Amino acid sequence: MFNRETMKADELTRRQFMVNAARSYLGVTVAPMLGASIAGISLGESAKRGSGPGKLAEHVIFLNMSGGMSHLDTFDVKPGNKEVQGPVEAIATSGDFQISQYLPKTAEVGGHMCLINSMNSKQGAHEQGQYLLHSSYSPRGTIVHPAIGSWVLKMKGRQNTTLPGFVSVGGNPKSATSGFFGAEYAGVPLGRPDEGLKNSKLADTVGEEDFTKRLAMADALNKGFHEKYQTPQVKAYDSLYDEAVKLMKSEDLKAFEISRESGQVRGDYGQNGFGQGCLLARRLVEAGVRFIEVNLGGWDTHYDNFTAVEGRAAVLDQGFSALIKDLDGKGLLEKTLVVIATEFGRTPTIVSEHSNGRDHHPSCYSCVMAGAGIKGGTTYGKSDKSGHKVDSDGVTVQDLNATIGYALGLQSDKVLMSPSGRPFRMAGADAELGKPLTSIFV
Amino acid sequence: MNPVMTPAFRLGLAGLATLCMALPTVAQSANLPPNRDPEFLKKAAYNVDKYVAELYRSKKLTVPAVVDDPTFLRRSFLVSTGRIPTLDEARSFLEIDDENKRQMLVGYLMDTDGYRSHMTNWTLDLLRVQDQFGNNNTAAPYVEFIRQSVADNMPWDKFTQKIISSKGSIWEDGNGAVGYFIRDKGMPLDNMANTMRIFLGERMECAQCHDSPFNKWERMDFFELAAFTHGQYEVNKGPWDMVRREVREAKEERSEFGRVVDWLGDNVHYLTLGGGGDARIKLPSDYQYKDGDPGEMIAGKTPFGPRIRGSDRRDADDGRVELAKWITDPKNERFSTIIANRMWKRIMGNPIFDPVDEYVEPDKTITPGLVVYLSGLMKELNYDLRAFQHVLLLTKNFQFAANPQAFDAGMPQAFNGRQLERMSAEQIWDSLVTLTAGNPDKLAKRQYSDTIFYNNRPVLVGQKSMSQLSREVLAIKDPAAYRAYVTDLLEQFKNDKGPKGKDADMMMASAVRPGPASGLARASELPSPSPAGHFLRDFGQSDRELIDSATKEANMAQVLAIMNGHVEKMVVSNSGAAVYKAMEDGSTDADKVRFFFYAILSRPPSDAEMNMLMRDVLDGSQESYRNLVSALVSTHEFIFVQ
Repeated sequence: MFNRETMKADELTRRQFMVNAARSYLGVTVAPMLGASIAGISLGESAKRGSGPGKLAEHVIFLNMSGGMSHLDTFDVKPGNKEVQGPVEAIATSGDFQISQYLPKTAEVGGHMCLINSMNSKQGAHEQGQYLLHSSYSPRGTIVHPAIGSWVLKMKGRQNTTLPGFVSVGGNPKSATSGFFGAEYAGVPLGRPDEGLKNSKLADTVGEEDFTKRLAMADALNKGFHEKYQTPQVKAYDSLYDEAVKLMKSEDLKAFEISRESGQVRGDYGQNGFGQGCLLARRLVEAGVRFIEVNLGGWDTHYDNFTAVEGRAAVLDQGFSALIKDLDGKGLLEKTLVVIATEFGRTPTIVSEHSNGRDHHPSCYSCVMAGAGIKGGTTYGKSDKSGHKVDSDGVTVQDLNATIGYALGLQSDKVLMSPSGRPFRMAGADAELGKPLTSIFV
Repeated sequence: MNPVMTPAFRLGLAGLATLCMALPTVAQSANLPPNRDPEFLKKAAYNVDKYVAELYRSKKLTVPAVVDDPTFLRRSFLVSTGRIPTLDEARSFLEIDDENKRQMLVGYLMDTDGYRSHMTNWTLDLLRVQDQFGNNNTAAPYVEFIRQSVADNMPWDKFTQKIISSKGSIWEDGNGAVGYFIRDKGMPLDNMANTMRIFLGERMECAQCHDSPFNKWERMDFFELAAFTHGQYEVNKGPWDMVRREVREAKEERSEFGRVVDWLGDNVHYLTLGGGGDARIKLPSDYQYKDGDPGEMIAGKTPFGPRIRGSDRRDADDGRVELAKWITDPKNERFSTIIANRMWKRIMGNPIFDPVDEYVEPDKTITPGLVVYLSGLMKELNYDLRAFQHVLLLTKNFQFAANPQAFDAGMPQAFNGRQLERMSAEQIWDSLVTLTAGNPDKLAKRQYSDTIFYNNRPVLVGQKSMSQLSREVLAIKDPAAYRAYVTDLLEQFKNDKGPKGKDADMMMASAVRPGPASGLARASELPSPSPAGHFLRDFGQSDRELIDSATKEANMAQVLAIMNGHVEKMVVSNSGAAVYKAMEDGSTDADKVRFFFYAILSRPPSDAEMNMLMRDVLDGSQESYRNLVSALVSTHEFIFVQ
């Protein structure tokens, strides 16, 4: 019933398994919806950025500081204003700005960074704030908006065709959603960077031939179900099975194995999930993955802010600085945009009843961009003297996402339609709210 | 409800005869309260269906078909107990012929431990319950409180009152509820926003910072509410603070004494909530509207429903008690309506109004009569969530076939036939556990005791419990006495040689460390949440940071886990797995195939499937059956709830 020669061929896809299986089992031709949805859209020609001295970014490493990173205690220091700054001192950097004493190693790579200290948003709750950051939209009951990584994949296409184009390390799977784009544009969630892409190899309890038989049999058994339910949720699993089989055969799977790095390199990034996630991100960039998100949680420092921020910042400091140096040393930084982002900042007011905590503060906070033609050692926008409000050149979350698109040469205000016929843009619903910061590029 | 079902299902086929003979004796009710009266539940289900029928008539909708027995069986198991039926359970149900068997199945399921387990998951998600509070301090008594409340089927209004009005030490017997506030220590405003969303279906989180552009709430409304829970502090922390400062100044943090002080800070003081709620609060320093000044003291005031007010002149000590009364006041329709809508979603798949936690006036819903009826029914059943869900499971509406059309956002989904949905992470996990171990009700559970654990070792077993210790510590009034107490406690810890006497072994055995089960266990018994990268998390289990943040979206990690991971390791390659009982139970190849279908998909194979498998797949070898099991679990039919 199986043609051995065909089964063994390396380039054989699951779709072909299925054709064979369906023919041999049920005498039918393959169900037409399988795999048919994988149609890439690329937008090379209409890109806004493309000429000039800076190179276009090919990759994005998005470092998500979830919980609301205190801007005052990291990238927007107010030396001399003890009342809002508390015990934190400012230190000099290799760039044209100061940052917090909690980030000494980051200070060394300041020459690569552009600080944006005029971020502002209206979303002061975590869920809405993270949603906005990851999609440029506010949550709605009627649609799920694709994550920025999914937009990048949809518009820029894959570089490596056997590996996933979007990987999310240690984050909330909801932030890696492909929304209405379909599962092939979704981020692959990795719980732990040191485990790599779990289960990507055949289990040792099953041979390749049996594995093939099982897939074919499952397909045959799915037939009735498919005919009855042609929903996007069901189709998502079909396309993922295709992807998974491709992936299992990929030569590049070893990109996921950070154990291949020396102890020295692993140590440089910090022996923690975030640091090792940054290292994994570098490996994935080398292998041609478009968009990698690495999450660092624990920034929700309502309670005992300074102890908590010092601890988080130490992890960020080591991982981020090692990443920038490593990318730079390998010549990857010029084609990789590295972003440090968060959903909001924290109040200048220090709440003494909560052991010197700081509460949510969306009206003014900080994000960072580096690499990919970003002018290093610079700042964009200013906050007022207490970090309470934006003083000049305010930047919205939509602007930030538009800038990511711009760095990649994408037209971030291009409208794509959802299957239900509604128009959406990478930079959000309102074209005026999502403008790339073109001046921060070389 | 129907104790007669239990032996039938436990005994599988052997019990069928008993089951059939016992049928006529089902509902006998005399003077039972509505929530325990089977006749009342049946009648209520009939009333629900009347409203649904009226809706279909008035909207000229096509009434969906009623599902067949296998679909009903699988759906009922997954919805009420969070797992698929075992081979024996499937056979018992599918192979008897009785017109009342659906009702009886529901009665049986609602009485099983599976209901408790599955409902526990729901509650942990809703309340964002994690095993650890901030600073990694244990939340075990809080988790235990949640679990026990679900196991006791505590009425929802009592449960709500208990957590909102809680105070004192978490270690006091039955006082785990106070964990609701300790969970959100340092963020009482977020806690209040969550409280409004969870219990009353009002989204006020935006109004924490500004008048909400999306709904009616102003920042003033929010602060007037927040006043009721304002004034949260740790009980009697003064002496501890003084001693801790002395320790720090003497640089003795690492000393034995210093460590006990820190341990008491984390394990006793942190786990307390002093004050009962001030019912007044100062407006924040960035208050930006004309109706108040930054820093101005304002009195608590409820924004709708029965009016409750605080005073802006002096602190109350019962703000949370008053708040709890207001939330659960029967005149506050939102409370009963929101929980009814949540339960509707849990059983039917979609809520009547969506999102499930944004209150809509009944008149503005698609079916005002039904919403009002369900809200009233919730009260009539005395907020008994199990009885309420039992009613919904008895309705015809529950038995309607899934709508094969793709989910079209914007269409009212609640009454357009059930929406096809992937199982939740917990349902998939618990179903795999069932395939591995059979009925999982007997598997290891979470454990709890209030034994003192110091340096990971049980101490003073039989002499002092955490509740006694906490009571003693919290009663100390001055630093000198606190110091003396710590010195004495340290001595006791050091000299502890374990319990003595004839009950010593028994005492040690019961001195279990509170926490998740080890080994194969249901999702509800595992860490909350499971660690990142666990099967449950890959399939979208909530991280329990945000309300209801579980997801059912597909991703690559899931497919890999099915093909090469847990499914293969736990089930397919495990020849001791319960699913392989089908091999023993079936005498012919065809029987075996049929039983594998029962055990995995809860239905018999179609003729085409049987022919295909017999002709092309099965050659009698163990391998060919393994391949069959793997293929059946890999089908979409396995992971979707029809």
